[in-house]
Amino acid sequence: MAGLELERVVKRFGEVEVIHGVSMRIEDGEFAVLVGPSGCGKSTLLRMIAGLDSVSSGIVRIGGRTVNHVAPKDRDIAMVFQNYALYPHMTVARNMSFALEIAGAPKSVRDEKVARAAEILGLQTLLGRFPRQLSGGQRQRVAMGRAIVRDPQVFLFDEPLSNLDAKLRVQMRAEIKNLQQRLSATAVYVTHDQIEAMTMADRIVVLRDGSVEQIGSPLEVYDRPANSFVGGFIGSPAMNMLNGRIEGGDRPRFLTNDGLAIVLPSAPHAALGRAITLGVRPEHLTVGGPSAFAAQVEIVEPTGAETVLNVSWGSASLVCVLHARVAARPGETLPLGFDGAPLHFFDAATGVALAD
Amino acid sequence: MTEAVGVFEEVGRPRLPVAAALRLAALVVLATIVLYPLLATVLDGFKSLGELHDNPLGLPRQWDWSNYWAILGGGAYWRVLGNSLAIALATVFLTLVVGAMAAFAFAHIKFFGDRYLYAYLQLGLLFPSTAAILPVFIKVRDLGLLDSYWGVILPQVAFALSMAVLLLRNAFKQIPSELFDAALIDGCGYFRFFRHVTLPLSGPILSTVAVIGFVNSWNGYLLPLVVLDSESRYPWTLGLMAYQGQYSTSWQLVLAFITLTILPAILMFLIAQRYIVEGLTAGAVKG
Amino acid sequence: MRATTALVILLPPALLLFTLFVTLPIAQASWYSLFNWNGLGPVDRFIGLKNYKWVFENAVFQRAVFNNLLVIVVSLAVQLPLALGVALLVAGGAWGSVVFRMIFFLPYVLADIAAGLIWRFMFDGEYGLVGAVTQALGTKPVYLLASDPWAFSAILAVVIWKYFGFHMMLYVAGLQGVDKSLLEAAEIDGANAWQKFRHVTLPMLGPMIRLSIFFAVVGSLQLFDFVAALTRGGPFDTTHTMVSFLYYFGITRMRVGFGSAVGDVLFVVCVAFAWGYRRWVMRDD
Repeated sequence: MAGLELERVVKRFGEVEVIHGVSMRIEDGEFAVLVGPSGCGKSTLLRMIAGLDSVSSGIVRIGGRTVNHVAPKDRDIAMVFQNYALYPHMTVARNMSFALEIAGAPKSVRDEKVARAAEILGLQTLLGRFPRQLSGGQRQRVAMGRAIVRDPQVFLFDEPLSNLDAKLRVQMRAEIKNLQQRLSATAVYVTHDQIEAMTMADRIVVLRDGSVEQIGSPLEVYDRPANSFVGGFIGSPAMNMLNGRIEGGDRPRFLTNDGLAIVLPSAPHAALGRAITLGVRPEHLTVGGPSAFAAQVEIVEPTGAETVLNVSWGSASLVCVLHARVAARPGETLPLGFDGAPLHFFDAATGVALAD
Repeated sequence: MTEAVGVFEEVGRPRLPVAAALRLAALVVLATIVLYPLLATVLDGFKSLGELHDNPLGLPRQWDWSNYWAILGGGAYWRVLGNSLAIALATVFLTLVVGAMAAFAFAHIKFFGDRYLYAYLQLGLLFPSTAAILPVFIKVRDLGLLDSYWGVILPQVAFALSMAVLLLRNAFKQIPSELFDAALIDGCGYFRFFRHVTLPLSGPILSTVAVIGFVNSWNGYLLPLVVLDSESRYPWTLGLMAYQGQYSTSWQLVLAFITLTILPAILMFLIAQRYIVEGLTAGAVKG
Repeated sequence: MRATTALVILLPPALLLFTLFVTLPIAQASWYSLFNWNGLGPVDRFIGLKNYKWVFENAVFQRAVFNNLLVIVVSLAVQLPLALGVALLVAGGAWGSVVFRMIFFLPYVLADIAAGLIWRFMFDGEYGLVGAVTQALGTKPVYLLASDPWAFSAILAVVIWKYFGFHMMLYVAGLQGVDKSLLEAAEIDGANAWQKFRHVTLPMLGPMIRLSIFFAVVGSLQLFDFVAALTRGGPFDTTHTMVSFLYYFGITRMRVGFGSAVGDVLFVVCVAFAWGYRRWVMRDD
């Protein structure tokens, strides 16, 4: 097992540059998730790691070895495709052992490896079936089985769960993570779903428009987003963003562009005197408190465990998630505050997070 | 995105120049073999018979247009083209009308025995018209249609119906049945629905059926050969063979005639390539 | 408008035309084949299966059947592999693919009779390409179309020239429909170009190949125009196909009973093949 390194990797399709100098380092045995909105280049990066697309400039290293010009089959990787890419005319067993068959491994070796992988994934009874006879979740497992049998240095996943229904997705998430830990394998997982990223990753790489926005552990990315994009992308419902200015002093005040004010416990120096975006996560808003402001309730969505409120304050719309039943109704006012809430200050123009 | 599937398009790897060169060489050689007869036919129509003998492989030393002018100026050429056009258009029109009517019925109306009737109409897919040419000839004669356009048109339509109804019915079925239910509620009867919904949505399949029907009729030889007697009614295929029979020793004339008669087909192909290829192969695959 | 009224208007034209010119004639052919009839007057000289006996004992017919089989064999062994090979070279986006595809498909668009006549010129011992070659080599003129067995080989060449482009197009469509991620998975699994072709592309092409074979066989059974243009069955009636035999020996000589028997045999062969092939070979397609 070995790590994976990308050094200033660039990808151009003809004249158009789609990946702009991406660098990242993934340790041996880590589960890394590449996440970002559609078109951010995450799949392209994965394919370059696999060798399915060429690298325009930059270096890709697997296990310390530069693999830019190494064919996919020699990179010691395995890939699970979004549509599984199972050979329709081969049985499950043959699908899983095909790579070994190509390599000329004797039947006994192939059968043994297939049996072991089948056991890990619960596929023993399905070995003689054909892909068209399997359900989505079963096909997913066969695709993983095929990857496991190869025993590669790095596992690559290209949005493998997006074709499954929600319930199955949750179940498979846990299974994949579990599997990766059992095998102590290095994995690179591509998804557009930030929940998948947060729940599965050891390390998250947030991408946008072909560039890295932030790399960090899930909690790092959640607690300390490097910019307003990451802040807004990670976490659901999305972080509330308010534009305005900070007035300094012992008790700094945040003035929205409407002129509404709220007292803050503290504010970073860098935030004074410039236009900023203030970010607060919906789950961090509280009811009441000394610095509460009057928010107008628009929509109430009780989910059982929580209450999600859409409120308006001046011209701003906020979302707030309360872990309690709240007897609020649309049209009423509710005092909401930032007490004890982690606050995120971003430069309004660049989106960069402002340090303390 | 990856590149395509041909054998020399390796995924993500630089293509070997040697492979590319070999491929090109093979294709050029093959293209030459394919095109040479056609080019020879066109060019040799510009030669005199003597030059054909002395200079078979080269370009014409003198471009003698007289062969071509003679044919274009004579009535026979235009007459046979006109006959072919009339027959082909009538065949296509009837096939579309009659076929669409039946296809519509099979697609939207459930009635007793519909499966059997449909299977009956599909029998035509099992054997080509050539196998039935003799009894068809007798039938045409018994109906008094010998030596007439209809004697060619009607059998052509009849044999085209199996494929036409198959393609059209499948296409009509693609139109969601909810549309049909909504139309019925709106008070729209079968014919209005056909005119305002089915027809507009069926453009591609109609042109596929039209292309197949037109090409088959335009190129037909055996049926007109058997049915038609009068040279005045000959389509271009018969006209061509008649011309060759008449001028068999003067190849330069025959070649000019061939060139002029295949010209419409080649022009149509160049203009409507996509359509024609799709039509002919799609019809084959779906049938 | 009620459904029944619609049906009464919509269905009869198709059913009438089809019955009148397709099913009825075929049924009648079986009837005529039991008689000795020249097409005129009453059908009254019943001879039972004698026509069939004469057909099967006829040396020209036997040769015609052999010729038809030869076309099928050559199609399957030469034409289709050629078409597949070419398709592999032009299915992708490599330089000139689209143009080459159109060039190779062009002969298919022409009428068989015209193609036959063009090649009759090409094979002409004095004025055609063959003549040019013998002239250049200084040998005596060779008349391929007048000598057995070259005459039928010439016909075979024309068949390939005219039809390989059609099959190529079918294979191109098939190749373009192969799921690219399967090829990528095979790439990662370690397959080289040949292995990818053998284990992924070829199986995925299965349905298209089976369809292509179907057309090749059905088309081979129908060959007539080439014979009419190139050899008229000669030399010495050695290049007939079943259909040309039907035409020259049944229709032109007005031996309707005899010709109907030939037609019947042809019909049975076609139907048996079409039905059996679809049922067993193309079952899962």
